[in-house]
Amino acid sequence: MKAPAFSYLRADTLAHASALLREHGDAARLLAGGQTLLATLNMRLSKPQLLIDIGRLEALRGIELRDGFLRIGAGVRHVDIERSAVVAQHLPLLTQAAPHVAHAAIRNRGTLGGSIAFADPAAEWPACALAADAELILGDGARERRVMAGDFFIDLYETDLRPHEVLIALEFPLPGPARRFAFAELARRHGDYAIVGIALAADVTGGVLSDLRIAFFGMGNTPMRALGAETCLAGSAADAATMSRAVDSLDEDMRPDADLHSSAAAKRHLASVLLRRAVHDILQPEPVR
Amino acid sequence: MELQGEQRINASRDEVWRALNDPRVLAKCVPGCEEIRRISDTEMEARLLAKIGPVRAHFSGRIVMHDVVPPESCRIAFQGSGGAAGMATGESKVTLTAADGGTRLNYTVQAAVGGKLGQIGGRLINASARKMADEFFQALNEQLAPDAAPASVPPASVAASSPSAAPSRRLPAVAAGVPSAPSATGPVWASEFQRILWLVIGTGVGWIACRAFSL
Repeated sequence: MKAPAFSYLRADTLAHASALLREHGDAARLLAGGQTLLATLNMRLSKPQLLIDIGRLEALRGIELRDGFLRIGAGVRHVDIERSAVVAQHLPLLTQAAPHVAHAAIRNRGTLGGSIAFADPAAEWPACALAADAELILGDGARERRVMAGDFFIDLYETDLRPHEVLIALEFPLPGPARRFAFAELARRHGDYAIVGIALAADVTGGVLSDLRIAFFGMGNTPMRALGAETCLAGSAADAATMSRAVDSLDEDMRPDADLHSSAAAKRHLASVLLRRAVHDILQPEPVR
Repeated sequence: MELQGEQRINASRDEVWRALNDPRVLAKCVPGCEEIRRISDTEMEARLLAKIGPVRAHFSGRIVMHDVVPPESCRIAFQGSGGAAGMATGESKVTLTAADGGTRLNYTVQAAVGGKLGQIGGRLINASARKMADEFFQALNEQLAPDAAPASVPPASVAASSPSAAPSRRLPAVAAGVPSAPSATGPVWASEFQRILWLVIGTGVGWIACRAFSL
């Protein structure tokens, strides 16, 4: 099928994009990589009257180190993160997660900001942003505000982004020398949205875990932290008894909805498998960088 | 798809039952509802705009109630079509039980979703349906909870309350809590107290207003 008729405008500046959003409201959609939006249009599941192309906005570009932060523009494509040496060196969590984001063809066009702002509950980037404690920069060309990833995702496809705002960039705090990351997901086929996935960040000192951030995706309406498991595992070397207590705590923290393919019980089981895998991975001696 | 849930609503069973049968109330509470028309005692037609993530699909459908046992329970069969987006059919059972001062509403839904919505939405159908159900019951609660108050609010207070908006807004919350008091004398005493309170406030405001205008 082909998309219904729509108008197209290319925004020159952030303020321009924001002004168009104010003018057209719910009838307008921002177009970045178009990997979700255009598919939805082609299937006629949505009929916006106007697409505002933000693909050429300078403000959304670039991967760069700033004092204490790794800043990645919202318009940066998945493939650029996957291949970035700076990201691999400073925030390997994103490098580990990138190959799981859909298929290569989609990674060539889809953007980090698109994935975050769309906030699919089973998408990889929102969970990575949560695990790596990223700060999101939102703006309308005149004003900027910052929101922590933990506060940004509100409910199913619902975020703190206001109707006239554009997601500009994500800032990830640079991890200390003891910080380690692990990422794992289970999908029916490679490239599908995950049934369940996990992004894990923790300090590892002499085989002992501390300062954990465990973010699951596909387990609820937003990416969510397994706070009980974080508390259980903190200060431990993840011995069998602690691990099984951490796994049990997942039932307290997460009540996933069943979908057409997996029951809630199956999802809970997969989450426990992933938690064990991720903790095992993070405790492996790290290869020399 | 199967879904079940339980909701507590701060209104009596009769009120909840009446609300669930009132197209005007339903139209205000169903997320994205554009129109609900009653065709017969047990049949309604509805049109709504479903907003789920990127999807904006107009659905029009028919709702038929059967096994109706007022004000306790009924079965609701529904069938909706969303054009290119797909279609949904299903049945829901709703049971109302009185529970300490309010009503407990239990529902189960079995539904089948077909077409593109089923294909690409299959992953999120349950979560979306639950979110819509939550929004519906929250709206229903908001519609009903203020209505539960007037029974214990003396009508005389209305005129006196108009000069200051804040107390009149706070009052229903106080009054809504009253029926749940176990003591039989409690509600009577409370409503008498409120009557006196409003008389005092009304007189006070009137006096201040007189003073202000005469100055």
